[in-house]
Amino acid sequence: MVRIMSTYGTLLFKAMGQTLLLALSGLFFACILGLIFGILSVLKNKICNIIAQIFVDIIRGVPMIVLAYFVYFGVPYGLNTIGGMKVTLTALQAGTICLALNCGAYMAEIIRAGIQSVDIGQMEAARSLGLPYWRAMQRVILPQAIRTMIPSIINQFIITLKDTSILSVIGFPELVNTAKNVVANTFMSFQTWIIVAIMYLIIITLLAKLAKILERRLNRGRA
Amino acid sequence: MAELKQNVKIHVSNLMKNFGRLEVLKDISLDIYEGEVVVIIGPSGSGKSTFLRCINQLEEVSAGEILVDGINVTDKKVDINKVRERVGMVFQHFNLFNNMNVLRNLMLAPVDLKKADKAQAEKNAMEMLRKVGMEDKAYAYPMQLSGGQKQRVAIARALCMNPDIMLFDEPTSALDPEMVGEVLQVMKQLAADGMTMVIVTHEIGFAREVSDRVIFMDGGYIVEQGPPLELINNPKEPRTIDFLNKVL
Repeated sequence: MVRIMSTYGTLLFKAMGQTLLLALSGLFFACILGLIFGILSVLKNKICNIIAQIFVDIIRGVPMIVLAYFVYFGVPYGLNTIGGMKVTLTALQAGTICLALNCGAYMAEIIRAGIQSVDIGQMEAARSLGLPYWRAMQRVILPQAIRTMIPSIINQFIITLKDTSILSVIGFPELVNTAKNVVANTFMSFQTWIIVAIMYLIIITLLAKLAKILERRLNRGRA
Repeated sequence: MAELKQNVKIHVSNLMKNFGRLEVLKDISLDIYEGEVVVIIGPSGSGKSTFLRCINQLEEVSAGEILVDGINVTDKKVDINKVRERVGMVFQHFNLFNNMNVLRNLMLAPVDLKKADKAQAEKNAMEMLRKVGMEDKAYAYPMQLSGGQKQRVAIARALCMNPDIMLFDEPTSALDPEMVGEVLQVMKQLAADGMTMVIVTHEIGFAREVSDRVIFMDGGYIVEQGPPLELINNPKEPRTIDFLNKVL
């Protein structure tokens, strides 16, 4: 293990950085997508609800590995042969899109459930005072919804971070992909995979700790 | 009260409301005058609460018209938020905003809707809290209050928008018996101050003591209405008699 770390340590740490980069950029866009589709699904508008439902159903119904192949290989090929457009995506771009779509769909569901968990009377009381829908959402409903959403969101973040490993199939130099190369060079699969496991464990433990602090801060001042 | 009965505050004509195939309000026509205290009684499912919620458009009506101060609130082009600013509502389950303390509950709408700056809104909020006897709980959170206290805060919150009509949707139904009095006391004070009030309640005693008119609803219709003593002591319709026999 020491020998692997001394020879491939920098490479693996760099891969860990790439994993983090991919996860963070994916999560960033996932939050935006999740918020958009989550709110679309609670609006009193049938068309908006249906759009959100279709998005969630499609993404949830397709394994991420299929999504990854489709976005990275399928879409540029399709655009080229059908539309005659030369589009190439880097592995990072394709990976970000996959994570954003995948995690975004689950985030949309978490946000929808969170908003719906707030008693309807809260909205009615706000509206009865003359507040417009969006102000009521912003000042009364979302602050209460976020408290119930936080644990699920953290869970989803952790799942997404782990899902970056699936994107090794499109050649993104994240931890798993890099580790495969290391194993191919050294044949020391036992030691290499232990190192990789520990690296994931460290990242995720740190993320969970950070999340706990955030959760506690949000709950402060709450009777 | 005769001289007050000049200005119609709420005019309802041929109001109907369906939930799917269920007809909740069948044909309601009614005028409520400025300064009048109207109590609506009736068995559950008779449409009392739905009627009240139609007045500030928490429920969209299926047919008919409601004019509040001459403004047709059933018209989609009317800015309903402007009307709601002047029509306060108190709910059975209080519906205080759980994510803020009492004072911020009261200040939210006036500040957000730019009715007052922060200092002014706070001063006004404290005054309203004093009116309902809750000024010492200004910094408490809703969860720390009893039901009666919550409802008094909810009344104060509605008053902070300086409404000229107040709607009460079974304000004491979710309260422990010993807390009913404190809420009714606040409402009585409000009535004495000349507020136009529409109250859905099961408190027949309160209706008799405070209201100018009692309306008995059943099955989506107004069955009978009149001055409280007359309607409560000498009801004419069999359904009214039957209902009052059960609750008195």
